[in-house]
Amino acid sequence: MVTSLDRKLARDLWRMRGQAFAIALVIAAAMSTFVMSLGVHRSLIETRDAYYQRNHFADVFASMTRAPRSIVDRVRELDGVARAEGRIEQYATLEMPGRTEAIRAVINSVGDGGKSDLNQLVILRGRGPGIDESGEVVVDKAFADANGIVPGDEIDAVIYGNRDRLKIVGIGLAPDYIWAIAPGELVPDESRFGILWMGQKALEAATNRTQAITSIAVVLDRGAVESEVIRRLDALVEPYGGTGAYGRDDHPSNAFLDNELMQLEAMTRVIPPIFLLVSTFLVYIVLGRLIRTERQEIGLIKAFGYSSYAIGWHYLKFALAVAAIGIALGSLLGWWMGREMTTLYGDYYRFPFLDYRVSAPVFVTGGALAAGSAALGAMGGVRTAVRLNPAVAMSPPQPPVYRVGMVERVSRRAGFTSVGHMIVRHIARWPGRSAVTTFGVALSLALLFSTVQFIDSSRIMLNDFFFRAQQQDLTVSFIEARNEDVIYELAALPGVIAVEATRTVPVRLVHGPRSERAAIEGAARDATLTARIDADGRAVPLPVSGVMLSRLLAERLDVRAGDEVEIELLGGRRTKTLVPVTSTIDELVGTRAYAENAVVERMARDGAVVGAAQLKIDPAHRDDIIAHLNEMPIVLGVTERVAAMRLFEAMIDRNIITMIGFYVAFASAIAVGVVYNSARILFSERAHELATLRVLGYHKTEVATVLLGELALLVVLALPVGCFLGYWMAQLMTAMFSSDLFRLPFAPSRATYGFAAVVILIAALLTAAVVIRRVTGLDMVRVLKSHE
Amino acid sequence: MHGPLPDAHSVILRSHERAATSYHRSMADEEAPASKSAFNGRDLRKIYVTGETEVQALRGVDLDIAVGEVLVLLGPSGSGKSTLLNIIGGLDRATSGTLWYRDTELTALDDADLTRFRRANIGFIFQFYNLIPSLTARENVQLVTDIAADPMPAEEALERVGLAARMDHFPAQLSGGEQQRVAVARAIAKRPGVLLCDEPTGALDSGTGVRVLETLARANTELGTTLILITHNAGIAAMADRVFHFLDGRIASIVVNETRIAAAEIKW
Ligand SMILES: Nc1ncnc2c1ncn2[C@@H]1O[C@H](COP(=O)(O)OP(=O)(O)OP(=O)(O)O)[C@@H](O)[C@H]1O
Ligand SMILES: [Mg+2]
Repeated sequence: MVTSLDRKLARDLWRMRGQAFAIALVIAAAMSTFVMSLGVHRSLIETRDAYYQRNHFADVFASMTRAPRSIVDRVRELDGVARAEGRIEQYATLEMPGRTEAIRAVINSVGDGGKSDLNQLVILRGRGPGIDESGEVVVDKAFADANGIVPGDEIDAVIYGNRDRLKIVGIGLAPDYIWAIAPGELVPDESRFGILWMGQKALEAATNRTQAITSIAVVLDRGAVESEVIRRLDALVEPYGGTGAYGRDDHPSNAFLDNELMQLEAMTRVIPPIFLLVSTFLVYIVLGRLIRTERQEIGLIKAFGYSSYAIGWHYLKFALAVAAIGIALGSLLGWWMGREMTTLYGDYYRFPFLDYRVSAPVFVTGGALAAGSAALGAMGGVRTAVRLNPAVAMSPPQPPVYRVGMVERVSRRAGFTSVGHMIVRHIARWPGRSAVTTFGVALSLALLFSTVQFIDSSRIMLNDFFFRAQQQDLTVSFIEARNEDVIYELAALPGVIAVEATRTVPVRLVHGPRSERAAIEGAARDATLTARIDADGRAVPLPVSGVMLSRLLAERLDVRAGDEVEIELLGGRRTKTLVPVTSTIDELVGTRAYAENAVVERMARDGAVVGAAQLKIDPAHRDDIIAHLNEMPIVLGVTERVAAMRLFEAMIDRNIITMIGFYVAFASAIAVGVVYNSARILFSERAHELATLRVLGYHKTEVATVLLGELALLVVLALPVGCFLGYWMAQLMTAMFSSDLFRLPFAPSRATYGFAAVVILIAALLTAAVVIRRVTGLDMVRVLKSHE
Repeated sequence: MHGPLPDAHSVILRSHERAATSYHRSMADEEAPASKSAFNGRDLRKIYVTGETEVQALRGVDLDIAVGEVLVLLGPSGSGKSTLLNIIGGLDRATSGTLWYRDTELTALDDADLTRFRRANIGFIFQFYNLIPSLTARENVQLVTDIAADPMPAEEALERVGLAARMDHFPAQLSGGEQQRVAVARAIAKRPGVLLCDEPTGALDSGTGVRVLETLARANTELGTTLILITHNAGIAAMADRVFHFLDGRIASIVVNETRIAAAEIKW
């Protein structure tokens, strides 16, 4: 049954549709970001978990130079190991017609037809390779798509120094390569790095490793302690050049995906609450105003015998109805945005299937939060309505009392006109609402700023990595570390301007009871092509002797500069050396150690100081040099800095466009919602005064300045507040998006403050213009007929 | 161009009428005939259209009002008094007919020019004082002196209405009569050519009302301001030079008072 109060509700909503819609928009923004990020987060987690389970993604992984296949049986017998499987992982260089740059691949061995126990391959097209069919491979979907490869194609490859012709028999994916990056690269490039699967016997033959393996994957017993198993496994594979076992947390593909999921979750925790907070404020001021103007009606309705409860419920329903519109709108929008975003993830990550599903509880939770925020905002007004004494309500409201306050003395000294006084005193008269306006606009600015400043982070990372830390044009990595002869050989190539040797060796660092797996990066002390940039953007020189540890690594080992650590080389010759820690470096990413080449050599004791060569070349000779390098059998791969940099830039640009569009729209929604509602309330409160000014002979534009002046003052005040809030929020978000191993640089640029401020100012201005149109249409005579 | 000649029956020559003085401003250059018309209206009609229904608020009003005249409009509720006053003051427009203020045809002005006309020539006083609650008495008056061409100081205007001591009080701190006197001070501060008052004493008791009327009368005598006043109180008509009786959107009759009584002597 529709009661007359409900009819009033419907009319109120219709009459205030502009304001109601503006609030609904902010609620919709909250709801949609909530549904989207939670929906995508859950969908990705469920997809990942289902994929891992179905395809038996392992728990612990270990690599070694070469071990007999029989070691797998011994691993299975280890305490805590449920299942284990060994395979060969072999890097290779692919030669594709028309491509000058080096294309690399990692080839994994699989059983007949692509079968395996763990990290199972999904064949999407074609079939799996025969166990003994030399040259038959399955390639991963991303690489195939990026290079237009279909089953039946053939590719030349240099595997283990031998040229082989590979026959593509299928396209597939595996759970250990959801995300993949070529060793030494910073940005994944699916067109230049492929994952291949080849029959076990065929790969054994191609790499001269009959009945041998290079990696082991392990599934743990339920309840097994991962670190214990890793310790036992390490001990077992140590003699075979083991480079240290690691769990899922350190598995590149899984860790990267985890990081992404963590960021998505952080978004859920930061962004929707901002919108909800603003919608609470908006409901508070709008309903508060509505109830003030309807005092007499409320008194009348109560006098008719309606209970206070019925009146309170009536106004609460107003807030809930607005919330319902926002929830409906936001649910649809959020669902759609989530689907688009999941599709984007589908392109970026290599999942065989991607189930986008938003479960009912997500909608219910989001809806409850939104309705709760609106109800919270309504509480103040509802309480007033409930408490209103009908007799008091029926008498006309007392005129608002103004006082000469502190603002006053300022404005008097500033020589304000009467209109100036009107503006300043009105703000001071309604401090709560003025604060809501300023704070709301400030929040919109803060949101925009704190999200867009991630572009600054990316730019700093780009600059630090590609311009300062790396100044070589090419990085040449070798199958095995070489002696210095190779440097002279490369330096002799026409077009090579400079060559510098670097070497990265996997090590275990031990300090007392603590031990950590890491890599030591060696370079010459006078090297000019590589540098180490710390979190503050400073270049840190290599120590003359001893090692420099990244801050995180030093913390984990509990060592300080001056202490000694035992460094154990992993892979190849196993040496143990006691080395002093000379200094630490506060880095944004990873746990690494650095040392002079000579220090690394002293630990390795193999007389080979060149793990990779950094080349500075004459661009005119680039193609020849790359062709020559690809012909060298000792070369594992060639990385071009410019190509990687472009890739990274393209990634940033793509993010910028989506992100800016997205957050400009959402932050503007807040600004519009806040300014529109404030302006409407201001206008309705001041219609009488504005009409009086018109009667006194003020022009429309002059009258509009009374309204605009107050809004402008509040919005301008919001700019510094917003920048301040934004700075703080950006710091918070940067912290939430960062993990132990990966921190984002925080150094927002001035342009970002400017951009956010300008966007918000424009949104506020356009909104104010809509309300100002009402001043123009003001009917003086009618307004003056009514008493206040 | 000159306004239409005044009707014979409404031409009032008054003993205390002054020649045009500096505080009479109009849109056009001043000429100085011995006796001048402030307003001349011909066949003024106002039709309000709300949806399907039409209300004829004015059904053809002719009027000629002399400079410095005191005019009272009487008539039953809904007879069109306020409508006429608003048109005269440039707040509203006639649906048809012509209206001149001195040498300016008001009925031909656009919105901005009407605003300029109000700003230069008209002071309004309403039943509800329409003060700005956030401004003190002085500042309410300054609202007008800020934009007028040759205003008197706000303090002087407030002194004229006897509120010199209350200048820094806000409307909420003043009584109804005091608020209305602030409204009068605000209206006279710019030395307007015309004061238009719509039931200025409607919300006041008689003693207070009389004090307000006195300030209005002083403006008329001391500044030569033309005073047009709507009232439901026939007693007030005694202070007028002429009284227009409205009925059903027309001026039904005009009474010329041979002798005016001072505002102080009015009682109701
Ligand atoms: N904005 C409007 N829309 C429609 N009709 C209107 C409007 N303003 C006035 N009227 C009508 O015009 C007529 C004259 O109104 P007006 O206000 O001039 O009367 P009045 O003589 O001033 O009455 P009162 O003494 O009650 O103030 C009335 O019938 C009124 O209803
Ligand atoms: Mg009236």
